[in-house]
Amino acid sequence: MSFLSLSFVLFTVVTLAVFQLSPPRLRPLVLLLASLAFYASHSPVYALLLLGVTLLVHRAARALERRETERAKLRLVALVVTALVVMLAGFKLASALAASPAGSPGEGEGVALRVLVPLGLSYYLFKLIGYLLDVYWEKMPAERSIVALALYASFFPQIVSGPIERAGDFREQLGRLDKLDPASVAAGLRRILFGLFKKIAIADRLAGLVDAVHAQPSAYSSLELLAGAYLFALQLYADFSGVTDIAIGLGQLFGLKGPENFDLPFFTRNLQEYWRRWHMSLTSWLADYLFTPLRMALRDLGQLGLALAILINMVAIGVWHGAAWTYAAFGLLHGVFMVASVLTLKRRDAFFQGRPALSRLRAVTAPLASFHLVVLALVVFRASSLSRAAEYLARFAAGSRGGIAATRFSFRLLHMTPGAMLGILVLAALMEFGNWAMRESGWSRGFLAAPRAYRWALYCGIILVTLGVGHLGEQTFIYAQF
Amino acid sequence: MTNEEIRRKLNGVFQQVFDAPELEVGDATTAEDVPGWDSLAHVNLVVAVEKAFSVRFTTKEVKGLANVGDMIRLIERRAK
Repeated sequence: MSFLSLSFVLFTVVTLAVFQLSPPRLRPLVLLLASLAFYASHSPVYALLLLGVTLLVHRAARALERRETERAKLRLVALVVTALVVMLAGFKLASALAASPAGSPGEGEGVALRVLVPLGLSYYLFKLIGYLLDVYWEKMPAERSIVALALYASFFPQIVSGPIERAGDFREQLGRLDKLDPASVAAGLRRILFGLFKKIAIADRLAGLVDAVHAQPSAYSSLELLAGAYLFALQLYADFSGVTDIAIGLGQLFGLKGPENFDLPFFTRNLQEYWRRWHMSLTSWLADYLFTPLRMALRDLGQLGLALAILINMVAIGVWHGAAWTYAAFGLLHGVFMVASVLTLKRRDAFFQGRPALSRLRAVTAPLASFHLVVLALVVFRASSLSRAAEYLARFAAGSRGGIAATRFSFRLLHMTPGAMLGILVLAALMEFGNWAMRESGWSRGFLAAPRAYRWALYCGIILVTLGVGHLGEQTFIYAQF
Repeated sequence: MTNEEIRRKLNGVFQQVFDAPELEVGDATTAEDVPGWDSLAHVNLVVAVEKAFSVRFTTKEVKGLANVGDMIRLIERRAK
């Protein structure tokens, strides 16, 4: 059941009705049963696996509190976390090997990949590992209720593509289900609409162009490949932030709002900042549960320890997406960029301090440079194999060659019309304005205080544009495969 | 070392790590209040504190810190 299917709309409406009619005490159970039904619609067997893993973590966390010595606690937590990581890696490796030698997603073999890896495995395992470590670090007590923990792990809005909510935040909201705010339901619906707009009116319309340039980079000019690289960044952003909006909005319908994943990531001064604003729920998770422990363990190595911890962390971000060389290379590239950036930042800041003219220049060039490093790494991320990525970049760098001028720009070969391209770019600008306005409380309040007719005119406009330009069907989200 | 001495010394460590000579931290100060106090800077801070007070923390102790007050209590416990 895809978020974009009619059956999912029906499922949500029925769940919401039962949820609203139930006494608050039973609401977590209603949501758990709905989440399990949603999961079982993909795979009943893997639903049992999800339940089994949850049960194991539930018992482990309770046992952790009863262990008396630090050693015994550490041994238990290390054992369970290792088992969960091995399970995650095992599934990802097996699927990569079964699909193709390169383990490439998004092409023909992708079907086998989706069949093999349990839905949302990387999301729910990260949630459960984080929960267990929080109990071990005594940031929260072990959850008594198995219903609450199972709902946390399986909550259907967040199971497909995240965001990865923290156990403490989820539990806090779960305790307030008796005081449901009608405004939260309205906010949820608005958020879902915005997400659908991003996905259908922007992301999906760029998919054909991006697929084409990546399928055969040698057939395209440098300028076309450059456009392909920029537009994949836009496609991924619209797709992933779209599904995140839908997930957060769905959660709000039930009073359980997930964490944000994006904060205008393309407008950042450096890569450290970029990674604090792109897929934030994953990067902040890794910062807490992987980077900090690693950095602590390696702290006696000084700068070398810092560089190693960053490299391992970034490669982990890469291979979290799947066991493919392209993802590892994507992570490694970002690791190298990040180490270089972190180790030189203080010196760069000092250099620019006494030079106001150069500082002004830097304010423009630094975000541009960061953005292009991100786009470069995304070419590797999107490519079906490392050799295809190399072909893409080499063809781009070669300029005019084989009768193709470097600056040729053929809309026909890109499966796009000039009008459609312009339209998408205008919609993308409006999307980013919407993203910006949403985080500015003044704009949000102003919008909500506007006369109802204006607000509804905007909603209808968004619905008409989305229905008018998009192709409806059973599309999947890019981040649903990870 | 008295509580007052720990506070003064710790404040000096903060000023040095965050390159902010004017910075004043109190019990309730958290990472949100100090510009630049992110996950990268956090361990740098811990290392600087360890050096300044000749103590050694475990990852679990560091993860349990919610604010500067927690850090002062941890130093008091460990510096004894």
